[in-house]
Amino acid sequence: MADKTMTPAADAASEAQPGVPGYVGTHYPDDTTTVLGRQINLPVYTVVFIVLGTLTVLEVALAELVPRGGLTIPLMLLISLGKAALVVWFYMHLNSDSRLFAVTLLVPVVMVTLATLFLMIVPVGY
Amino acid sequence: MSEMSLQQTPAAPVRRDAHGDTHGSHSQRVQNLKFATWLYLASEVVIFSVLIATYVVFRLHNPEVMELFHEKMNEWPGIWLVSLNTFILLASSWAMVMGLRQIQRNNPQGLMRWIGLTALMGTVFVVFQYVEYTEMAHKGITLYYDAASGIFKDFGMRFYAPTAFHGAHVIVGVLWALYVVNNARKGRYSSQNYIGVEVFGLYWHFVDVVWIVLFTLIYLI
Repeated sequence: MADKTMTPAADAASEAQPGVPGYVGTHYPDDTTTVLGRQINLPVYTVVFIVLGTLTVLEVALAELVPRGGLTIPLMLLISLGKAALVVWFYMHLNSDSRLFAVTLLVPVVMVTLATLFLMIVPVGY
Repeated sequence: MSEMSLQQTPAAPVRRDAHGDTHGSHSQRVQNLKFATWLYLASEVVIFSVLIATYVVFRLHNPEVMELFHEKMNEWPGIWLVSLNTFILLASSWAMVMGLRQIQRNNPQGLMRWIGLTALMGTVFVVFQYVEYTEMAHKGITLYYDAASGIFKDFGMRFYAPTAFHGAHVIVGVLWALYVVNNARKGRYSSQNYIGVEVFGLYWHFVDVVWIVLFTLIYLI
């Protein structure tokens, strides 16, 4: 924690390039994206959208073609969490923004997840 | 704790932007606005979680109701309409970031086109959700208990509360998108000043993330 700053203003100031488009932020993606060492002539936002669409098709196929139970439910939950993480990481720019923003999101997420898990084990009638 | 504060660092360069702010104070304002938005989204996480937890606990204790619900969802248009709607919302998020990309390149026309597309897709989502609700009501899944509800008498509220609350957020998002387009038309955004677009983007993507979770938990599992 000590070696990586969590001060948003310091982050922005250190990376600011006045005169260059988008200098107040750090999100100015190129027209190409490198995926698994291969360069694709699409911006990262489009690549993420293609991945999100593919994962959605996979999820629906799992739900419709494979009987529920066993590994399908954890797998679908995992895919859903992966999709949510992609949106938060790339579209909401947590990959380049202050870690303080990530903490702001994660604290309530962890708390409510624990609370929900607790509620799930409370027997009916309590 | 001090390293997590939003204090301006002494090392920040002092330059003036188009609004006459020093560069340091401008970036400080931008970061403060974004932090405030994240705090707001954190509160939204708690509200949506209460609705989702209520649904999850009900689902756990009423597997027979869920079985029947999935049977109803398999009738046309059912799950296919909701899947299409999910795809539309994902596409709207993509349009949103592509709009942001345009204004970062100082192209307000591109911003207006992409955010306009975002608003259009948000509107289509709400219309399709209305169609879905109408279908659901015909199948006996109603908000309030009535004679036609049968086994779904306790399910309706738990189904409609999170999905309709999300739908209300989409409606707010569409109105916000139109506001952003109007601001862009008046020339209020540039490559030096696009925080208004970015804050709207955070809200819109959050609404997308909530739907990603709701879609899996309610319709697929």
